[in-house]
Amino acid sequence: MNKKMLIACLLVGLPVFAQNDTQWVLDQSTLSYHMSHPMHEVNGVSHAAKGKGVCQAGQCDFLIAAPVKSFDSGDSNRDLHMVEATRGAQFPMIVVRTRLPEAATTASTVYADLEVQFAGQTAQYKHVPFQRVSQGNQVQISGTVPATCSDFKIDRPSFLTVPIKNEIPVHVEMTWRPM
Amino acid sequence: MRIRKRRVIGLQGIILCCFVVSAPQLFVAQTAQRVAVTPPDVPAIALAASPDSADLPSAPEPSDQLPQTGGTDQVPAADQKKPNQQDQTKPANAPSLGDLGFTPEQTQANAQMQAMLNKRTHMLKVHQTLGLITAIPMVATLITGPQAKAKGRNGQTITEPTTANLDFHVALGGLTTGLYFTTAYYSIFAPKIPGVKPKGAIRLHRDLEWVHGPGMILTPLLGIMAYKQENAGEKVHGIATYHGTAAYVTAAAYGASIVSVSWPIHWKFWKKQ
Repeated sequence: MNKKMLIACLLVGLPVFAQNDTQWVLDQSTLSYHMSHPMHEVNGVSHAAKGKGVCQAGQCDFLIAAPVKSFDSGDSNRDLHMVEATRGAQFPMIVVRTRLPEAATTASTVYADLEVQFAGQTAQYKHVPFQRVSQGNQVQISGTVPATCSDFKIDRPSFLTVPIKNEIPVHVEMTWRPM
Repeated sequence: MRIRKRRVIGLQGIILCCFVVSAPQLFVAQTAQRVAVTPPDVPAIALAASPDSADLPSAPEPSDQLPQTGGTDQVPAADQKKPNQQDQTKPANAPSLGDLGFTPEQTQANAQMQAMLNKRTHMLKVHQTLGLITAIPMVATLITGPQAKAKGRNGQTITEPTTANLDFHVALGGLTTGLYFTTAYYSIFAPKIPGVKPKGAIRLHRDLEWVHGPGMILTPLLGIMAYKQENAGEKVHGIATYHGTAAYVTAAAYGASIVSVSWPIHWKFWKKQ
């Protein structure tokens, strides 16, 4: 009898404990870098990012990653050059990590400290603002990561001996849903 | 009683004697067992460093390389494996790259491909530079073309070009042809990346090759024919009369090819972004 009670308590209790862990999955995403040159303005877009978030004990850890070669600027030659310049075959993934207090994830503007791994380098971006809009059980996040070529030790490609601008801001549009 | 006591002492002495005699043999036996644990002729430090026998994680390497390779949990190539300190420092419940469902092909580093891309970029940069340089003698050849042509219609006085003008035009044409085919070499033999279909401005750039490529073969051939006819005191005739037309079409296609690969051009480049 006591054993049955114990098993019943465990069966009821375990899901309650499990509810403390919230997991999020990236449903849709659009990552877009902007490259600027006196004679060219280029946007490279990727929809191939995948992401996961785990909230536990009041802290949420998010991980978003996208293959470098998934960015499409509309010109295959330029995209291949981008992969070469960013050492994208040697370091094929862009990985972004952030850790937030769970309470901060419900605000309309989320300020995130990002750790971005790209081109074999790791760069930190502090206090990056992201707009958060909740729709049903989905959450839409948008913002811009102020990345630069020098952050990742990327030799800036040049056209007619003029290099591109150092700034390559990455605009992020993501839709998250709970798992 | 005395005799019994002596017997007791004798027994103790025998035991003590036996112990003293046997003790070194016991130590020898224990030493022999220890030696048997460590394989002979193999230094202990070498065993610890052997990858086959090391079940424990190896000590982190000096962090000189960390800015280049550290902090990425992408799968490195076999010759680049380094301890992943990033994974060791992140929270235990934090998601990892493996949780996201990327295929190994997507996350696997490919040093060979990187080398191929580097070579491709290098060759195409040379192609780009030589291509722009080629445009200079090409334009000069077009400009000097009319001076290398006999003037005057049938029934009129025909003015032959000076030898200097003709030779200068021929030399410029030869230089253009040589530079053009060197430029083409760097494009044709640049490594092709498998699975990449040409898209965007590069397609027109490539399509125009089918115009200026044959044009750059035909124009010098027609030029040689025209040159021979003029040297023979004949008026240029037959197919050789199309030398100029072929040259203009080729140059136009070549110019369009340069512009197309740069398209779309942000014209107001003097304005601040």
